[in-house]
Amino acid sequence: MSIERGERVWEVFRQEDEGDPMVHAGNVNAADEELAMHYAREFYGRRGESHRLWIVARDAITELDDPDLLKPPFDRSHKKPGGYVIKHKLEAAKARAVAEAPE
Amino acid sequence: MTTAPPELELATREALAGLLLSVADDEFVIGFWDSEWTGIAPMLEEDVATSSIAQDEIGHAKALYELLADLTDDDPDRIAYGRDPSAFRHAALLNHARGDWAFSVARRYLYETADRARLAALARSSHEPLALVAGKMRREETYHLLHADAWRRRLAEASGEATTRFADSLRRLWPDAQEVFAPLVGEDTLVRDGILPEPMIALHRSWLADVRPILEPLTGPLPEKSPSADGRERRTDDFRWLHGEFTKVADSEAGALW
Repeated sequence: MSIERGERVWEVFRQEDEGDPMVHAGNVNAADEELAMHYAREFYGRRGESHRLWIVARDAITELDDPDLLKPPFDRSHKKPGGYVIKHKLEAAKARAVAEAPE
Repeated sequence: MTTAPPELELATREALAGLLLSVADDEFVIGFWDSEWTGIAPMLEEDVATSSIAQDEIGHAKALYELLADLTDDDPDRIAYGRDPSAFRHAALLNHARGDWAFSVARRYLYETADRARLAALARSSHEPLALVAGKMRREETYHLLHADAWRRRLAEASGEATTRFADSLRRLWPDAQEVFAPLVGEDTLVRDGILPEPMIALHRSWLADVRPILEPLTGPLPEKSPSADGRERRTDDFRWLHGEFTKVADSEAGALW
């Protein structure tokens, strides 16, 4: 199976039902958008498993993988919600709400 | 189970059976020819696409063989796998072996465009079970035609060897492509009763008007040729070979269920 010149990779996202999130399904090789659409349909929709597909040329995707931006060297724990223990506050608030609820 | 409306006269029923058989055999045979690409199509993605489309065609044949079996109190598997090559009624277009990729695309394009004209009429059939199946088939065939047309344009515009092979294949298949519209036995009855809303010859004319302007810039003038009376009866060694292939499993264990 020869890879033809000019062939591109297309990333395919699928939605199972209306309202579901679009989830990355995989990718297909195709010379252009039209054939990419046909192949995406066959790979990710031929069994009726998809409600919608998005087909995106891989080279149209803006990629960010710079560790300086994504994995900065300093401690980032203060940016995570884990520092705040709100479990007890939540329980107290629920109890108050029940107590104050009209009969 | 028999769903044939009792009011169908014998002659009408026989003509309808002939119509169902002709469409079913077309779909069945092109499905098997194109499945010969499984594993060896030009690239992996196309391999999956061609195989899936071939499977769809066999699925359409199954739906039609079931309608026919209901009508004639027969068994769809027997109709599909239990007949001699001479009893098949597909158009002569489908007598040829798979050939190269350009040949397969040329045949798919000629067949899909002809099938579109035929299904548009059958979806309006007064025989409701047929209209229903034809309506469902049209939804899938729309996609099949888009796929065949995408390849038609690519081969036509590629120039060089691809375009030469494609144009040669179209010219070679052209006479036999007309036979998709070969007159049916009892066609007058079918047209009279609205089972076939338009005569084959009218469907042939509208197909010609569709495809000539698209193909002739590539192929040059394509000869005028009317569909012939035996257009669905001629069989070839190529087809007899294919028949041997697709009946092999069924023949290996008579009466087996799967």
